[in-house]
Amino acid sequence: MKSLFNRRSAVVTVVVSAALILSGCSKSVNDSAGGTSGDCGSWAIAMHAWGGYTASAQVVAEVAKKELGCTITQTTLDEGPTTYDAMEAGTIDVVIEDWGGGRWQEWLDRGAIADAGENGNVGLIGMYVAPWMAAKYPDITDSKNLNKYADLFKTADSGGKGAWFEGPAGYTTIGEKMVSANKLNFKVIFSGSEAALVDGFTKAEANKTPFIGYAWQPWTLFAKIPNLESGHVHFPANDWTDPALASGLTDYPATPLVKLISKNLNDANDPFTSLVKNFKWTNDDQNGVAADLEGGMTAEAAAQKWIDAHADIVAGWLGK
Amino acid sequence: MALRKPYLLLGSVTLWIILGHILRGKNTLQIDTYENTSFTSFVGKRALELRGNRSESPAFIYFFNPIRGAIDGFVQVIRNLIAVPAPNSVIPIIGWLGVVAIIGFVVFATSQWRTALLSISLLLACGALGMWQFTMDSIAMTLAAVLLSLAIGIPLGIWAGLSDKVLKILTPFLDLAQILPTLVYMAPIALIFMIGAASATIATMIYSIPICIRITSHAIRNLDRSPIEAAESMGSTHKQTLIKVQIPMAKQMIVLGINQTVMAAVSFVVVAALIGAPGLGKPVIEALIIRNVGQGFVAGFAVVFLAILMDRSTSAAAKKQTTFVPPTEKEFKRKRFTLIGSGVVALVGIFISRTILWAAVWPKEIDISPQVERIANDATSWILDNLYIFTVGFKDFISYAILNPLETQLSASPWFVTVAMIVALALIIGDVRTGILAFVLAMAIVVSGLWYEAMLTLTQTIVGCLLTMIIGIALGIWTGRSDRVEKTLRPFLDAGQTLPAFVYLVPMLGLFGPTRFTAIATGIVYAIPVVVKIVCEGIRAVPHSLIEAATAAGSTTRQIITKVQLPAAKKTILLATNQGLIYVLAVVVIGGFVGAGGLGYLVIVGNSKPELQGKGLIAGAAILLLGVIFDRIMQAGARRSA
Repeated sequence: MKSLFNRRSAVVTVVVSAALILSGCSKSVNDSAGGTSGDCGSWAIAMHAWGGYTASAQVVAEVAKKELGCTITQTTLDEGPTTYDAMEAGTIDVVIEDWGGGRWQEWLDRGAIADAGENGNVGLIGMYVAPWMAAKYPDITDSKNLNKYADLFKTADSGGKGAWFEGPAGYTTIGEKMVSANKLNFKVIFSGSEAALVDGFTKAEANKTPFIGYAWQPWTLFAKIPNLESGHVHFPANDWTDPALASGLTDYPATPLVKLISKNLNDANDPFTSLVKNFKWTNDDQNGVAADLEGGMTAEAAAQKWIDAHADIVAGWLGK
Repeated sequence: MALRKPYLLLGSVTLWIILGHILRGKNTLQIDTYENTSFTSFVGKRALELRGNRSESPAFIYFFNPIRGAIDGFVQVIRNLIAVPAPNSVIPIIGWLGVVAIIGFVVFATSQWRTALLSISLLLACGALGMWQFTMDSIAMTLAAVLLSLAIGIPLGIWAGLSDKVLKILTPFLDLAQILPTLVYMAPIALIFMIGAASATIATMIYSIPICIRITSHAIRNLDRSPIEAAESMGSTHKQTLIKVQIPMAKQMIVLGINQTVMAAVSFVVVAALIGAPGLGKPVIEALIIRNVGQGFVAGFAVVFLAILMDRSTSAAAKKQTTFVPPTEKEFKRKRFTLIGSGVVALVGIFISRTILWAAVWPKEIDISPQVERIANDATSWILDNLYIFTVGFKDFISYAILNPLETQLSASPWFVTVAMIVALALIIGDVRTGILAFVLAMAIVVSGLWYEAMLTLTQTIVGCLLTMIIGIALGIWTGRSDRVEKTLRPFLDAGQTLPAFVYLVPMLGLFGPTRFTAIATGIVYAIPVVVKIVCEGIRAVPHSLIEAATAAGSTTRQIITKVQLPAAKKTILLATNQGLIYVLAVVVIGGFVGAGGLGYLVIVGNSKPELQGKGLIAGAAILLLGVIFDRIMQAGARRSA
């Protein structure tokens, strides 16, 4: 028994070490496969997991790989501080769409990351009711009338008030302030993820149940529920330059979305650096790709489809 | 005393309800979710400083950063070997065929051909699901974490096995690590070691080392004394006894410990993706966020396959050595022949995987994930479309009947009333020590400023545990009384234990909408398997003589269950309740992703908003405190009922 075990482990040892030696010295596929050429380096793009972001990031990745011969890694991770940390650590080089309104400032200040300009998309945030409600109760889209309908929005979870579904965790949200400043008879429920909001809006529209929730553009949900815009609830406009006034009475301001790059990439002066800095497209562009993604196309295919159809824009990014 | 306890419980609960009712809405300590207390903003500021100091402070330069670098490097070597292109290359050092060959060979050599065949099929299945690279990344991450865990855990375990003092020092940490919900310690680790493979490996190790230490020390402690005494009487030194007698004798149990360590590491694969671990967790989390149930299931299946692969191959290795019949010379030669033969096949496989492209990179054509995805999506949407009305009805019923009253009672009562109640419960169920501990921990939550959120999470955990126990005890009794039922349910229980909760979080969202109940339902699904298993064992451990006596006395089946089996298994059921509570708590907090609010949401939001980072970290600590309170009260209860 003992000797069997020992001999067996001897055979295993021999085979495993032979395998390691073999993998060390045999001629490998690489020599024949012929790696990609070009003077572009190896870079990592952060993949934040919302549809619109994926669309932008994938298009940049495809152009970089196919046109510039870059080696691109795509790493899924949470937006915000975790990503900035990763950029500082050198494991992430690009954030192609950040909504954060300056939350990166301290990283920027110590030179860990660099601002690569706006990406052309404009983020619009607001509170929306399910569109069927806007059709049935035309005055509901004025925030002053919300309390009149608060009872409709009651659920088992809203403690006798209307249920107000707030945006995903990382997003800019001021719902609690909007509710208290406007004296709304609503309870803020933190939906926690995009998935939860998609679920809420889709079911509400399909079953004609009341729903008020946080929504933003560009967002593919606007393609799936075509008249969602009609449910936009308007709050009194206010002055966002004055923090005291902007403390919640207002609607959200329009946010130009920005690109952030790592110090490495900024300093490298690589072809990829200029591609990222030049990348710019519209909300419609992003929605188109994101809709294909949502329709079941792979990210690569959806991005390639857009690239093929917009050769002139891509050429512009490449400085051709 | 036995008579008084239920009355005491009833009395204090009644008093609590009355007081809560009179003083409703006073001193609830509720603050806005996005508002900081001076304490949370203090912690947040310290955390920000910590981030800024990472490149300057000596603690980072000489301690944390080198650890991070070393672990990152270690993980990268393993990844280069099987998962990602090696430096200056477009493929990993060993291609897929080589990996299949070598895993098949190693499993064959350490156990039997059937297990080897199973392992190979499972690996190929992961590939066919289009998950080859993710699977390899997960294997690499698991391997790295397990190797490091064993390197630390086995020596510590042996030490704790030999010395009572060491065991006494380690035990509170081991207990704590087992209660700790995984979501909680991700943020602090990421703060120190940053997002990436190193953080993920360390987080996995925190989860898996305690199990390794526990089983190893248990193995050393429960050895037959006589061979050890014999060795000592023959003049062996402690070292000799340890190396020549104790460790070899404990070997099999230690291998079991390795198996459990591996399983813990595998179960961490998905959560680790939240802090940047490469591997199967990525598609699972992505599927949650883009709400693609099918993709979640495809990746979830790969996780389950990986878990089965790891479990079967390591547990078979543990069992293999138990044969006491010595092999005949003929069997022996044949075994050696097949071993060398398969070794050569493995080497050829590796060689091919390094020279021919189709054997190096998993062929894109072999990918059934779109089909699986479609089937999963169709099935889910059918269920959602047809059951939605019932599930929402059920959700509303539970919400109005239990959830809302309990939430009001816990969160809208003054904090001191609820603290007093918790302490009273601890005193009645446990003893004075439990009561003092409960008081200190509950006060810590109060001081943290997150009392209100903690009460929301507490409500969800209690309701989740209640439902889990109702279902779990029923199923546990059923499986405990019938081998056939156990056999049928077993695979589902095993799969339920390995399938990551994130996979069914999305279907639950579909069934119950963005509500507290979605979190609760997910927690129930996660906790039921372990509760059923424990209750089943408890029922089986009831002595046959008792049941026979009851049967002889003419008891009906129902009487046997309620009068004999349940009372006899009381301690086990209490332990199962404890496990149920801890499991539900661990998952209820990820309900923050789907509208459940509470402490879990604060942890999640703290990860993504710098200004709320302190609050998130404290929320994590508060979850842990809740877990410890549950654990101590239930354990004390189980001890006293013994």
